[in-house]
Amino acid sequence: MDPNLTTIDFRLYAHWIVLLPMIGFLLELLIGKYWWRKGGMFATLSIFGSMIISYGCLYNIYVQGMPFYEYSWEWFYPGIVAGFTIDPLSLAMLCMVSFVSFFIHFYAIGYMAHDCAKSVYFAETALFTGSMFGLVLANNLLQLFIFWEMVGVCSYLLIGFWWHRPEAAAAGKKAWMSCSVGDCLFLLGIAIMYTLMVGIDGVTEPISFNQIFQNLEHLHHAAPIFGMSALTFICILFMCGVLGKSAGFPLHVWIPDAMEGPTTVSALIHAATMVTAGVYLIARAFPIFLAAPNALMIVAFMGAFTALYASTLGLVVNDLKRIFAYSTISQLGYMIAILGCGAVLGVAAVAFALFHLVAHAFFKALLFLSSGSVLHGTSNTRDIKEMGGLLKGMPWTGYAMLAGALALVAFPFTAGYFSKDKIIEEAYIYATAHGALGYLPWIFLVLGVILTATYTFRAWYLAMTGGPKSHLAVHPHECDWWMRTTLVVLSVFALGLGLLTADWSEGFFKGLFKGGASFWHFLEQTFVTETQTASGVVYPGLNMGDIAHFGGNHLHVLEPGVVHHISPAVIYLPLLLMIAGLAIATSLYYKNRVDVSKYIKKDNPLYQILWNKYYLDYLFKDIIAEKIVMTVFTFWDVLDRYVIDGVVNLLSWITISAGQVGRKLQTGVVQNYATAVIFGVSMLMILVIIIRGG
Amino acid sequence: MIPLQYYLLLAGMLFAIGAYGIMTLSNGIRLLMCVELMLNAANINLVAFSTHINDASGQVFALFSIALAAAEAAVGFAIILMVYRLRAEIDIENINLLRW
Repeated sequence: MDPNLTTIDFRLYAHWIVLLPMIGFLLELLIGKYWWRKGGMFATLSIFGSMIISYGCLYNIYVQGMPFYEYSWEWFYPGIVAGFTIDPLSLAMLCMVSFVSFFIHFYAIGYMAHDCAKSVYFAETALFTGSMFGLVLANNLLQLFIFWEMVGVCSYLLIGFWWHRPEAAAAGKKAWMSCSVGDCLFLLGIAIMYTLMVGIDGVTEPISFNQIFQNLEHLHHAAPIFGMSALTFICILFMCGVLGKSAGFPLHVWIPDAMEGPTTVSALIHAATMVTAGVYLIARAFPIFLAAPNALMIVAFMGAFTALYASTLGLVVNDLKRIFAYSTISQLGYMIAILGCGAVLGVAAVAFALFHLVAHAFFKALLFLSSGSVLHGTSNTRDIKEMGGLLKGMPWTGYAMLAGALALVAFPFTAGYFSKDKIIEEAYIYATAHGALGYLPWIFLVLGVILTATYTFRAWYLAMTGGPKSHLAVHPHECDWWMRTTLVVLSVFALGLGLLTADWSEGFFKGLFKGGASFWHFLEQTFVTETQTASGVVYPGLNMGDIAHFGGNHLHVLEPGVVHHISPAVIYLPLLLMIAGLAIATSLYYKNRVDVSKYIKKDNPLYQILWNKYYLDYLFKDIIAEKIVMTVFTFWDVLDRYVIDGVVNLLSWITISAGQVGRKLQTGVVQNYATAVIFGVSMLMILVIIIRGG
Repeated sequence: MIPLQYYLLLAGMLFAIGAYGIMTLSNGIRLLMCVELMLNAANINLVAFSTHINDASGQVFALFSIALAAAEAAVGFAIILMVYRLRAEIDIENINLLRW
C-alpha cells in the first residue's frame, strides 16, 4: 500500500460522498446530453468518487482502527443540525450502496443506450444515489427524513420514467401515495421525539441519534401517550414509515407496480438500496426500539408475517420482474424480523440484518439486472409463460440469474446461505426465549424458505429451460459487454460474499488487512463503542443491557467462546426445506411431472386468492379509495357546497343588502353632512346639559 | 372692561351664522367663507377666555388657529379652482361623481 494513502483521513471528506453525486446530477442534467454517449459519464464517475471515499473511510476505521466519527453543523435553528456519522453501520450501507450503484450505472450505460432521455435518467439516478448517501450518513432524524423523502421523490420520478405509458405513470403515483401514508406518521414520530427531547437538561441537539441514545433513561420516564409508553408510541410511528418505505405488509402494494420503471431502476431502488432504507432506520434507531416496551415484538411479527405473506404471492405471478419484486418484499421481511429479534439478541441482530441486507442487495440486483437483460433480449416481454429455453441464446444472462437465484434460496455456500440461515437460526433463539408466541416469527420465516425456493426456481425453469413458448423467445440476443461485466461482478459477489462472515474469515482477513474482524463482529461494535465528534464531544458507548432493561427486554448476552446450543435439526431445517422447495420446482416446472395448468383455473379458490393478491389492491382501490373515500368525499362536497359555502354566502348577502339600503344615506351633498354633524353635536350638547343639569 | 358674556354672545352669533350658511348654501366659495366665520367664532372665544383668566396661552392658540385657517382656506380654494376649471361651476350639489 502506498504510504501516502494510509495517512489520509477519509472521514474528514465524508461530506463529498453526498456532494459528488449531487454535482453529477447537476452536470448530467445541464450538459450531460452533449457529452460522451449523450449521458451517463458524470453520474457514473461521481458515484465512483463517492465509492472511493466510502472505502477510504472503511479502511480508516476497519483496518487502521480510527475511532467512530460524527460531525454536526448547526443548521437553521438552535439544535437543528446537519451532519454525518461514520460508524460500522453507516459504513456497511455506504460501501454496499456505492458499489452496487456504481455497477448498476455501469450496466445502465449499456441498458439505456437507445433511450432518448438518457441524460435525464442518469441525472435522476445520480440524485437518488446522493440522497441515499445523505440518508445513510445522517446523524439526526430530520436530515434522515429529508433524504428519506428525496429518495422517495427520485423513486417516483424513475418509476414513471417512461411516463408516456399510463401504467408507469399510475405506478409512480401509487408508490408515492403508499409511501406518503407511512411518511406522515414517521414525521409525527420525529416531532414527538423533538418535543420530548427539548425538555431534557443538557440536550443541545434534540433529534440527533447519539443524544437521543444518551438520554433514553429520561425518555423512558416520559409521560405515556394513549396509554402506552411514549417511546413505544414513537417507535410505532417510525415503524409506519418503515412499512411504507421497506414494503411492509399493508403498505407493500406499490412495489410490484413499481416494476413499470426501467429494470435498472428496479434493481437500484426497489431491490438494493431505497427499500432497505426502512431496515436501516430500525437498525440506526435500534437502541430506541430496544428501550421501548413491546416495540421490537411488533417489528418481529410484522417482519416475519411480511416474509411469509409476500412469498406466497410470488408463487402465482407470471411477470418475471414482479416475482423478484415479491421476493424483495419477502427478504425485507426477514431483515425486519431479525431486527425485531434484537429484543433478545441485542446489537448482534443489527449485524445479522445488515449482512442479509448487503447480501440481498448483491443477489437481488443481480436477479433484476439479469431479468433486465432478458427483457432487453426478447423485445421487452416480461411474462415467463412466453419465454422458455433462453439459456441457449443468452448463457451469460442465464447463468448469472442462476447464481442470483441460488443465493436467494440460500443454497449452501452462497451469500444467502450465510445470511438467511443465520437469521432463521437466531430467530429460533428468540423463540426459545419468548415462549409459545415467540415461535411464530420463526415458523413464518422457516415456511418462507420453502416457498422462496419454489417460486424462484419456477421463474428460472420457466424462463430458461424447455422450449420457446412464443416467437419472442426463439431468437434472444445476448446483452453487450457493459451489462455482461456487471453481471459477472455481481455473480461473484452473490456467490462469494459469505466469505465476509464465515468463522474462518477472521483469520483470512487478518492476513489480508493486518487487523479487523468479521463482518458481524465489526457491525456489533456499533452503539457499544464510543463516538468522537468534530467538536470534541465524546459520546460514550451504550450499555445495551441497561437500555434493554428500560424496555423490559432481557438480552441473552453470549460470553465469547460460549457456544449457544441449538439442535442440529433446527439448524439444518431451512436447508432441508430449501431442498424440498427446489425439488418441488424441479418436478413441476422442469420435469413436468404434474400438469400445473390443471390447477390454474378460475374455480380454484386458493389460486383466485393468490392471483388477486389477497384482494388487498381491491380493498385499497375499490373499497377504501372508491367507496369509502369517495363517499366521504361526496358527503364532504355537499357539506362544503351547501352548508359551509351557504353560511359564507348568507353573510355576504346580508352585508351587500345592508349596503344597498344604507348607502342611500350618503347623498353626496355637503350641506346634508354638515347638517347631520351640527344636529348630532347639538343633540350631544343637550344630552350633556340634561345630565349635568339634572 | 367689556363683560365676557358679550364676547361669547358675539362668537355664538358668528358661529350660528356660519352654521346656517353651511347648511343652506351650495356655492363652494360661500361655504368656505362660512367655515371661516365658524373658525373665527372659536378664535374669539379663545381670546375672550384667555383675557378672562389672565393667561396668554389662549391667545397663542388663537394665532395657531388663524394660521391653520389660512392653510385650510388655501387648500379649499385650490380645490374649488380646479373644480371650476373642470366643470365650469362650483355648485357643490352637482359635484357627486364618487357617490353610489
